[in-house]
Amino acid sequence: VAKTSLTSPPWPEVKLPDPVEEAKYHAEVVQKVNKMIAMGQYGRLFAVVHFASKQWKITSEDLIMMDNVLEAECGDRIRMEKVLLVGADDFTLIGRPLLGKDLVRVEATVIEKTESWPKINMRFWKRHNYQRKKIIVNPQTVLRINTIEIFPCLS
Amino acid sequence: MVLLSAPRWLRSRLTDRFWRVQEVLKYARHFRGRKNRCYKLAVRSVRRAFVKSTKARREKKRFLRALWITRIEAASLEHGLKYPAFISNLLKSQVELNRKVIADLAIYEPKTFKSLAALAQRRRQEGFLAALGDGKEPEGIFSRIVHHY
Repeated sequence: VAKTSLTSPPWPEVKLPDPVEEAKYHAEVVQKVNKMIAMGQYGRLFAVVHFASKQWKITSEDLIMMDNVLEAECGDRIRMEKVLLVGADDFTLIGRPLLGKDLVRVEATVIEKTESWPKINMRFWKRHNYQRKKIIVNPQTVLRINTIEIFPCLS
Repeated sequence: MVLLSAPRWLRSRLTDRFWRVQEVLKYARHFRGRKNRCYKLAVRSVRRAFVKSTKARREKKRFLRALWITRIEAASLEHGLKYPAFISNLLKSQVELNRKVIADLAIYEPKTFKSLAALAQRRRQEGFLAALGDGKEPEGIFSRIVHHY
């Protein structure tokens, strides 16, 4: 059959590696990473956590401020469960979409619960004698991330 | 006898005009020109400033999202992928990171971003192979070449 513009697809032809060999390679990599986690050969860990309807990239000892009320007293320890990604210098563990609770543990403490600075909401239509001014004060919570721990239970 | 109206020497006079004016001028102190000193000009400028800040708070979200997208596009082009391919393949592999976090990773964690790009590239290739299918023609259809002489 003659070659037209539609005989071959517009993308370059791709060949995937052999599935059996790939499975072996994957198992090797997973074992290596498991050993590294078990030996503790990682430096500072960072994690991506879904909290208060936002995603945060956090490390240990850093502060997070959210624009809402948390039902926990100051000084309470909190465990954040929706972890999307954990990484160190040599490896990253990407969750699809979340990582298991037996794999990562992120602890945080509530430090302070304050209100935001008074934000001014103003509406004005010219030539219509219409202006409304409203002062909005949002409650805020500050958390300190204490630790991020990972456990060697990869498979 | 009962007096029904107040006598003329009792007047109600405004005593805190200074503070009412200061309430508006305090928001105008960093403006340029006479509107940081004169009340009549300052009232108009301060009103416009408040309205602009309210509207800007809504547009800041759009602006930041466009910024993140530009950054992710630049970073993924360094790894040989375009932004739509990168994002769509990441979502198809069930990785639900938002653009803010991916932009932060591209800046501060280049190795992690490289692995995400490799994941998206691999998923893209698997998608191409799945789209091609078996390479056979569907049943019940035959194709023939017509010769025009």
